[in-house]
This record gives sequence, C-alpha cells and structure tokens, in this order.
Amino acid sequence: MIEATELTKRYGDRTAVDRLSFTVRPGRVTGFLGPNGAGKSTTMRLILGLDSASAGRVTVGGKAYADLPVPLRAVGSLLDAKGVHGGRSAYHHLAGLAASNGIPRRRVGEVLDLVGLPEETARRRTKGFSLGMGQRLGIAAALIGDPEVLILDEPVNGLDTEGIRWIRGLMRSLAAEGRTVFLSSHLMSEMELTADHIVVIGQGRLLADTAMRDFIETNSRAHTLVRSPEPEKLRALLETAGAQVRLEPTGGWRVEGPDAAAIGDLARDHGVAVHELTPAHSSLEEVYTALSQSSAEYRADDRSTDDRPAAPSRKETVR
Amino acid sequence: MTTTAAPGAQALAYEWIKFRSVRSTVWTTVATAVLPVLGAVFVATTGSLQSDDTVLGGSLTLSVVAQMLAAVVGALVVTGEYSSGTVRTTFAARPRRATVLAAKAALVAGVMYVLALASCTLAYLVGDALLPEGRYAQGEPLPALFGIAASFAVAAVLGLAVGTLVRHSAGAVTTVIGLLLLPSLFGPLFGDAERWIAGLSPTAALEKLTQTSDAAADAVGSLGPWPSLLLVAAYTTVLMLGALVLLRRRDV
Repeated sequence: MIEATELTKRYGDRTAVDRLSFTVRPGRVTGFLGPNGAGKSTTMRLILGLDSASAGRVTVGGKAYADLPVPLRAVGSLLDAKGVHGGRSAYHHLAGLAASNGIPRRRVGEVLDLVGLPEETARRRTKGFSLGMGQRLGIAAALIGDPEVLILDEPVNGLDTEGIRWIRGLMRSLAAEGRTVFLSSHLMSEMELTADHIVVIGQGRLLADTAMRDFIETNSRAHTLVRSPEPEKLRALLETAGAQVRLEPTGGWRVEGPDAAAIGDLARDHGVAVHELTPAHSSLEEVYTALSQSSAEYRADDRSTDDRPAAPSRKETVR
Repeated sequence: MTTTAAPGAQALAYEWIKFRSVRSTVWTTVATAVLPVLGAVFVATTGSLQSDDTVLGGSLTLSVVAQMLAAVVGALVVTGEYSSGTVRTTFAARPRRATVLAAKAALVAGVMYVLALASCTLAYLVGDALLPEGRYAQGEPLPALFGIAASFAVAAVLGLAVGTLVRHSAGAVTTVIGLLLLPSLFGPLFGDAERWIAGLSPTAALEKLTQTSDAAADAVGSLGPWPSLLLVAAYTTVLMLGALVLLRRRDV
C-alpha cells in the first residue's frame, strides 16, 4: 500500500506536485496517468525518497521509504531514466542489487529467467542493449527482492507488441498475488487493458482517483454507432429528434442523445433499415484527453486571477 | 531469504561489486598499483637518482603520480554513478545515504591502502635490489611505508569527497588533481608562506614520508611527515562531512 498525503514538491517558483493525496491498494493494478510534465515521475521519485518533499508525506506500507529495513524486499522500482551503468554487465547490475539487500545470488538467475534475458546476454555490458532488453533488465531489477510493492515508470516504453503483452500479463499476475502494482504510462489504450484503478494528475494536482470502469463510464459520453443503407435519411430523422450525429471515421454515424433502443424504435417507425446498432463509451484516451484539456484551461484561468480558487475536488471532476 | 548482515556490510558488498564490474575504476586502480614499481625499475636502470636522494625516495619516484590516480579512482566511484544514473538505483537499494557514502569511503580507502602498501613495498625492494649498493642513503622504510599507504587511502577519500560535491567526472578529476598539484605549483607565489601552502597537499605528505630529496622543508613545509599526513586526513574528513551534508540534502 502506498499512501500520499498532501504531497507537495516545489522547484523554486514552480510547483511540480501540488497537495497530492491518493492511496494505491494491494491486489490490483493502479495506473498513474497524466500528460508529460504532470508530475508523475516526480511523484514516483518522492515515493522512493530520491527527492525530498517540500510538504506533506508519502509512505509505503506505513513507513517512509528511508525507514524500510530491507527496501528491495518491500518495494521494487523502475524509473523512466535509466539507472544502469552502460559499462557494467546486466548480471553484475543485478548481483550488486542482490548483495545490497542481502538477497541470495541465485535470485539473479531467477529474475533473468522471469524476464526472459538469456544468461549469455546478461553477461554482456548493457551499453549494447536494445531499449526492450534494457526495459527487461529494469524489470528484473525491480523484481529482485520479490517485493510486495512495485512502482514502475513507463514500463512498456520501447517494448514491442509481444513485450507489451508480456508486461501486461506480468503486472496482472503480480497484482493477483496480492501485491501493490503502481505503474505510469502515457499509452492510454494500454492502461485501459492493464489497470483496474487509476490515479490521474494534471499539473501536479489530483484529477481522479477511481476505478477504471467508473472513470470511463462517468466521464465519457455514451454514444451509439449506427449503420444504415439509407444513411442520409436516418441522419435527418435523428437530427429532427434532437440527436447529435457525426460521421465515424470507420463509416456509419456516431449518435449522441437518444440511446440505442430509442434509435432503433425511431428507425422502425419510419421504415429505415438498420444494419448495426452498437452502444459505446468513449475510450480512456478520449476521456483523459478531455479531462486534461479542461485541467489545462482551468489552470490558465487560474493564473490570470490573483485569488486562486480551490482546486477542483475529486467529486466535481469524477462524479 | 534475507540474511541478517548489517546494512553497512551489505552496502559495502554492493559497492565492491559495482567497483570491480566497471572498466574505468578497475584499470585506474591497476595503474595505481603498477606505477610505483615501474618507477623503481626506471629510476634504477637509468641511474637518474640525485646524489642526495635515498633508496626509498628514489624507488618511489612515481608514487606521487600513483597517488593522483588513487584520488581519481575515489572521484570516479561516485561521479560514475551520477553520469550513468545508477545513483538512483543505489539510493533506492540503500536509502540511508550516510551508509552509502561510508561504504564507498571504506571501499576506496581499504583497496588503496592494501594495494599501495603492496606496490610501494615491492617498488622499494626492486629499487633496493637494482640500485648500486652503498652509493645512496638507504632511507627508513619502516614505518614510513604504512604512512605512504595511508596517504593513498586519504587521497582516494579526498577524491570521493570532491566527486560527491562536484558530481561530474571531468570536473571532479580536474578539481582533485588541482588540489594535489596546485599547492606546490603556487606555493612560490606566496613568499615566506610557501612552506605552509605547499605543505597542505597530500602530495607533500607523501613526499615527506618517502624521504625523497624533493621533500625539502622550504618546498613542502617544515611540518614532519606524520603530522603532515594527519593534517591532510583532518581536512579530508571535514570535506567528507560537507559532502555528506550536501548528499543528504540534494535530490537525485
């Protein structure tokens, strides 16, 4: 469990993380979303005690990171910036980490197997590693202490489709074992498939801390995809009924307003054939883009006035 | 699965693996150990010893350069972590930064003490065997060799302190070599104060310990060899404490 309370980080005048409070619970994958510069990496460094908070606190399993007796057994981490010396072999990188926390050397072979890095590759210097191999090494390092909590910054960065699928499966199985899994990504579609719960931040502030499904359902606008052999006639009908109709890139109409049942009834009443009628929600990507845009606009307004209104509460933005 | 070894021992084991698995630190360390012996062979075979020199001082001619390399190794042990970003990995593994810095200091000091003791002793024996018998004063190798080895350890820790403060390899190496060289280079500019200024360098302490003819009181100060070593150790300790304060305060 990771708990942040009023966590704040300022660099001079700039506030990178602004009174951020959230909880990451065990047994599920929690996604950490935000545009570039939103403060995701800073937040992760604050959790790991690499940066010190200007105000507020963050604990892992109830303890500040620096107070963990055997840190790597409690928390495994992968940061966005590479933390591997190019002149050192992957094997020695992992062996050093194992030694640093009194973890037996045989664990190195185990994590290499787990991430699919051959022993022979691991003996080479990491300078020649591809992005994908480097990422696998980073995940091996995060897993070396068999930790209860995993904190991963952009773990799928640089991985191919197969690698992405592998990470997704790994994260889900680690969460299913009751571990706390906290990962950031800018790939919304990937997060939609991997995370059960999400924490969304924009400009260092909390925008949402909610279940993935709730987030999409409450923030997205429901719409219906309709296809008909008489598209223009159907559009006229729908618009007369007060619906908003737009052309879908894949063909057919994207209808907002009446639900699928109402559209079907309307078409039947006027004798228009319907070949497809699919209720849909916006993807996480669409919801997120809308949300972060409104956050950006909000901040722009905020800056123009001297008295700052209160931060948007989680209820206002999510409910 | 976790053993109950003290955090300090684990941090030291970690530093040792990092130290021996990167070429820059390994080869600079090897060069540190080889140079004094090469110097002894060179001086003895070319007969380039001055008449007022001692066998000990002549044999250890290149120990001054080796000591600089020891300081460079000390700096690289920490600056390499900043340039590669492994410093984050290190502090995630061992979040108590004082423990990490202490482990690094113990490692470079230990390695340099042992290597310098072996290398400088060998250099002396080689010089003693190759130089013509009775032409030069012998010098007193004991207990001086232990002090010489200690001066390497101190130089390495000084490099570590500077590396921690500066964080960039090139800047740290330049700074620490400057610290070793500049007192004797600029000493003459200070007139009567020369012997005080020049005496500040770890190099001065080393030269006094090797009893070389270069270690004249007007060049490197009138402070005896052992007090000189203590003085250098003392300000290195102060610099390390400053480095620790900054290390704990800084974000990485």
